[in-house]
Amino acid sequence: MPQSVPEKTIMQPFAFLGKVSLNILGEAGAICIFLFEAILHVFSSLGIFTKTIKELYFIGVRSITVISLIGLFTGMVVGLQTYYALSKFGSEGFLGAAVALSLVRELGPVLTAIMLTGRAGSSMTAEIGVMRISEQIDALELMDINPMSYLVSPKLLASLISFPILTALFDLIGIAGGYLSGVALLGGNSGVYFHRVCTSLSWEDISAGFTKSIVFAVVVCIVCCFQGYFTHFRKDGKGAEGVSQATTTAVVMSCVMVLVTDYILTSLLFQ
Amino acid sequence: MTSSAPDIRIENLTIGYGGKPIIEDINATLPGGGVSVILGGSGCGKSTLLKNILKLNPAMGGSVYLGKHNIFTLKKKAFSCLKQRIGVLFQDGALLGALNLFDNVALPLREHTKLKPAEIAEVVKAKLSLVGLEKFVDYFPNELSGGMRKRAGLARAMVMDPDILFCDEPTSGLDPINSAELDELLLELKKRFEMTIVVVSHDLASMQAIADYVLVLGKGKTLFNGSKESLMATDDVYLRQFLDRKGEKRESSRITMPHLDPSVMRMDCNKLLGDLDNN
Repeated sequence: MPQSVPEKTIMQPFAFLGKVSLNILGEAGAICIFLFEAILHVFSSLGIFTKTIKELYFIGVRSITVISLIGLFTGMVVGLQTYYALSKFGSEGFLGAAVALSLVRELGPVLTAIMLTGRAGSSMTAEIGVMRISEQIDALELMDINPMSYLVSPKLLASLISFPILTALFDLIGIAGGYLSGVALLGGNSGVYFHRVCTSLSWEDISAGFTKSIVFAVVVCIVCCFQGYFTHFRKDGKGAEGVSQATTTAVVMSCVMVLVTDYILTSLLFQ
Repeated sequence: MTSSAPDIRIENLTIGYGGKPIIEDINATLPGGGVSVILGGSGCGKSTLLKNILKLNPAMGGSVYLGKHNIFTLKKKAFSCLKQRIGVLFQDGALLGALNLFDNVALPLREHTKLKPAEIAEVVKAKLSLVGLEKFVDYFPNELSGGMRKRAGLARAMVMDPDILFCDEPTSGLDPINSAELDELLLELKKRFEMTIVVVSHDLASMQAIADYVLVLGKGKTLFNGSKESLMATDDVYLRQFLDRKGEKRESSRITMPHLDPSVMRMDCNKLLGDLDNN
C-alpha cells in the first residue's frame, strides 16, 4: 500500500538513520575483512621481508625527524604548563612525574599515530589509489600477484614495527623537552626531575603505551590502505578527484578512530 | 587454426556495468594461434568485454572458455595457474610506477619462478630487446614516452611466455609510425611464439594489418563475427559506414552557432594583444 504524505515525512529521518547505520556497518565489516586478509597474507606472502624493509624505511626512518621535533616541542609545552600549575602549590618537584606519565600514557602514542597518519598514512592512500585508477592493481592481479600481499601486508608489518619504536622515541625526546623547559629554562631541580621520571613510571604504563601504539598502527595502516584500495568505488569523485577524496577521508577517519580507540584502550588498560 | 595455442570460446555472454547490461548474448570463438580483433566504436563495451573475459569485472551471464577451462567456474588455484599463462597489455601499459623497467618486467619471474637473479636478468634483457627497449632498463615509467610504455608493457606481458596475449587498445594515442611498429611486433610475436592474440581496438588500419578474425560490437549487440576478409566484403549498412569511416549526419550540423561577443569576456584581450590579424 502506498504511504500517505505525512507518514512518509515522519518516516524519512528514520529511513535516513537506517541507511547511514547500514552504510557504517557495511564499511566496518569491509574494513574487518580487509584487515583479516592483510594479516593472512603476512604469513603466506613470499619475499614479504624485502618489501617490508622498504616500507620500514619510508614509514619509520623518514618519520624520525618530524616525530623528534613534535616530541621535543610537546614535551617542552607540557613541561612549561605543568611547571606553572605545580608552582602554585609549591610542588615543582613533581614535574618529572607529570611530564613522563602524560607522555608515556597518552600523548606519545596518540600524537605519534596522528603525525604518522599525516606523513605516512596519507601517502599510503594516495599511492594505492593512484595504482588503482591507473590499472596497476588490475595488472598485479592478472600477473597472479596478490595486491594484498604485494601492497598492504608489507605496510601493515612495517607499521607494526615502526609505530612502537617511534612512540618510544617521541616519549624519550618529550621527556628531554620537559627537562629543557622545566629545568633548564625555568630553574627546576635536575636530579629531582629525573628521579620523579624513574619512580613514577611503572612497567604497566610503558606496556600500555606500547599496546596503544600497536593498535594505532593497525588502525591507521588498514584505514589508509582500505581507502586507497577501493578508490574506484567512491561515489564522491572519480579519477584524480577520487584519490584526493580518499586521502582526505583516510586522514580524517584515521585520526577519529585513533582518538576513539584511545578512549576505549585507556578505560580498559588503566582500571 | 592448426596451432596448439588455445581457442577462446565465448558463449551467451552478457556484459554490463552497475547492474545494467551493455551487450547481451555474445557468442564467438576466437581461434587459437591467430590474431582476433574486437572492434567497435568508443564506449561500445570492448574494454568491458575484455575485463569480463579476464574476470576483472563480473559477467552478468554466460561463460568464457580459455581452451577447455570455463574461467567462471574454475577454482581459485586453477585460475591462478591459468593467469600465469596469460599476458595482458593494458591501455597505458599499467607499469608499476615505483619500479624501473627492469624490475617491472622481472616482477612476474621473481614472484612465480625459481630462476636465479642472473637467469632472470637474461630473460628480461631478451624480452626488452624484443621490443627494442634494452637500453632503457634503468628508466622509470614516467620517464618513457607513451609508445615506449606500451612496448614495455608488452615485454612484461610476454615475460612468462604466455599462451594467450590480450592487448587493450595497443595503438591508441600512438602516431602512425609507432602504431605500425607495434602491429608488426604483434605479428612477429604471433609467428615466433605461436600464441593466441586478442586485440581490443577501434583502429581500422591496425585491424586490417593484424587481424585473422574480427568480432565487431556496437548498438548493444554483436554486429559481426568472422574472418577479416568477410568483414571487408560485408554489405551491412552500419558496418560499411564504420569501415568506410563515414559519420552519421546529425541535426546539430544545421544549427547556427552563436558567436561569443568580446564584450562578455572578463579580460579585454583585444586591448592587450590587439587584433591577431594585424602585424
